[in-house]
Amino acid sequence: MNFDSYWSAVDEELATIPARPVLDLVPERTTDEATSYTVRLTSTGPYRVFGHLSIPAGDGPFPALLQTPRHGSVNLVPHPNDRSRYVVFGLTHRGQRLADEGFSAAYPGLLTMGIDDPASYIYRGIAADCLRAAEFLMSLDEVDPARVAVSGDDLAVLTAARRPGFSAVRVSGLLFYQATEARLKSSHYPLEELNDHLRAGSSAQIVADTLAYFDPVRHASAVTARTLLAVDDPDWCAALIEVLPAASVYKLTHLDGTDNDFLDAWLAELSGVPPMSKFLV
Amino acid sequence: MRNPENAIVEVELPDDFDDFWAAGLADCASYPLDPVLTEMPSLSTEKVIVYDLRYTSYGGLRIAGWYTVPRERPAPHPALVTIPGYISEPTIPKKWSELGYATLAVAPRGKLRSNDVFNPGYPGLLTHNIVDHNTYGYRGFYLDVVRAVEVLLDRPEVDNLRIGLEGSSQGGGLGISTAALLPDVIRCVAAGAPYLCGIMTAPTLTRSYPYEEINEYLRVHPKDVDRVRETVAYYDGLNFAPKVRAPTLLYIGLEDDVCPPETGFALRRVLTCETTLHAYPHCAHHAGLPGVMRIVEDFLAEHLTPGR
Repeated sequence: MNFDSYWSAVDEELATIPARPVLDLVPERTTDEATSYTVRLTSTGPYRVFGHLSIPAGDGPFPALLQTPRHGSVNLVPHPNDRSRYVVFGLTHRGQRLADEGFSAAYPGLLTMGIDDPASYIYRGIAADCLRAAEFLMSLDEVDPARVAVSGDDLAVLTAARRPGFSAVRVSGLLFYQATEARLKSSHYPLEELNDHLRAGSSAQIVADTLAYFDPVRHASAVTARTLLAVDDPDWCAALIEVLPAASVYKLTHLDGTDNDFLDAWLAELSGVPPMSKFLV
Repeated sequence: MRNPENAIVEVELPDDFDDFWAAGLADCASYPLDPVLTEMPSLSTEKVIVYDLRYTSYGGLRIAGWYTVPRERPAPHPALVTIPGYISEPTIPKKWSELGYATLAVAPRGKLRSNDVFNPGYPGLLTHNIVDHNTYGYRGFYLDVVRAVEVLLDRPEVDNLRIGLEGSSQGGGLGISTAALLPDVIRCVAAGAPYLCGIMTAPTLTRSYPYEEINEYLRVHPKDVDRVRETVAYYDGLNFAPKVRAPTLLYIGLEDDVCPPETGFALRRVLTCETTLHAYPHCAHHAGLPGVMRIVEDFLAEHLTPGR
C-alpha cells in the first residue's frame, strides 16, 4: 500500500466511528483559572482513549493546544500555566495508563509492536488516536479556530499534516525521524527496541518500510502551520527542516530552564497570550 | 526573588521514624526474596546479558526488574540499582553494563510490570493513602528498592562491597532513602534533582507535577493538611539524609520547577556523609543533563571501580 492510500484508509476508518466523547469534571483540578475534565472518546479499533481537557475561565473563544502523547506509559497532566491560557487537551493514546482497558503497552515493546506489517503496526492506531483528538479539540465551541496549536514529537507533525486547521506546531523529541539510522548510534531505549527486534530475526527492510509511513519528512510538506523544531543538531535534522514549509529551528541549549521558557514564549506569542515560566520567581 | 540556597525547608522528624522503617524491613525479611531470573536472548547483546528478574518484597508482592550483566568482563562485578522517575518505566540498563556494572533497573510496585496488586496510577501515587503513613502508597515502593539491593547481595557475580545507587528525580530521592536504610551496604549514591525531599514545602514553590498532586488533594481535602504533613514526614528525604553514610553526588537545576532547588539545597545541608553538589544555573528538572552524566559516570567509577 502506498503512503497516501495507507493514511487515507486511516481517515476513512475514523470517519466511520463516532467519537462519542464523555467529559467528567475534575473538581481538584478546577480553579479560578480553569475548569478541568477527563475525556474518553472512541478511536479506531474501536478503542476508547483518554485525555485531560481544560478550559480557561472567562469568555472565550480561547487559543487551543493539543498535546500529543509522549513515548512512555504516562503523560503528565497539562500544566496549570497552560490550563490558564489555552483550551488544552492532553491525549493519552491506546495502551498508555488511563487508556489501558484491554491493552496495556509495554516498555520496551510498544515501538515494535506489529512493526512487521504496516497495517497492524500499533502506531497506526496511535496516530489515529491523535487525529481523533485533533477533531475533538477543534469541535469545541470554546476554541478559537484561528489559534489552534499542536505540541509534541513526530506525532504532532503527523497530526498537523493530516488535519487542517492548526496554526502552530511545536516539535521536540523526534522519535521516528531517521530512526533506522539513529538506532545504530547507541543502546538507549526506545530506539534500542528496533535493534532488539532485528536481533530476534526480523527483516531490516520490512521494519524500515513500516517506519517510513511515520517518517515526519514524508508528512511535513502537508503542514501549513508555523512550525518550531527544537532539536539538538540542526544538521542531523536538515532533511526535515527543508521540507517543512514554515519552519523555524531552535537549537536546544540543554539549559532546560532556558529552553522551556523559549518554547513557551514562541507559542504564546503566536497564540496571543502572555508567556509564562514554569519556574516561579 | 527566590534565594534557593538559603531558603528554610523544614520537616518534623517523627518520634518513631526508625521503628516505623524497622517494622517495614522486618516485614520484608519475613518473606524469602525468591528471585527468579529469566535470560532474555532477544534483548541481550554481544556485550550484555539481559534478564527479566522477579523477587518478593514488602507485603509479599512480587516485584519486577531488568537485570543486566557484562558479558565480556570477569566477575565479580560492581553493581548498581537504578531507580526510575515518577512517570517513567525502568529501561533495560544495558548502558551501565557496557561500562562494567551488574545493574538492576527496578520497577517498584505500581510500575507496569509490578502493578498486578498495587496500581495507584499516575497521577495518584504521590497521594495514595496520604493521610495514613502506615498504608501510604510509597511505603512498599520505598522498600521495593531496598529489596532490589538485597537481590544483588545474593548474586554470585556481584561484589557485595561495591554496590551503588543511581537515579534522578524520584530515583534520586529514593537513592537517599535506600542508602539510609542500608547504610552498611551502599557504597555511593548519585542522586539527580532529588524528589521527595521537603515534601510539604515543595508544593508551595511550584505548580508543576507531581507535587501539584498534593495541591490538588488539599484543594478538595483542606482539613487533611495536618494528617498529610504527618504522613509524608516518614517519607521525607530530609529525615533519611542524616543516616546516609555513603559518598553522595547531588546535582540540581537552579530553575527546576518539578523539584524546587530549595529542596535540593536543604538535602545537602542535612547530609552528613561526604557530599558533592553541582547546582546548574538556567537548568530545570534535567539538572545539567546530558552533560552531567559524565560526572555521574566518573563518580560511580571512582567509588565502584568497574574493571578492577
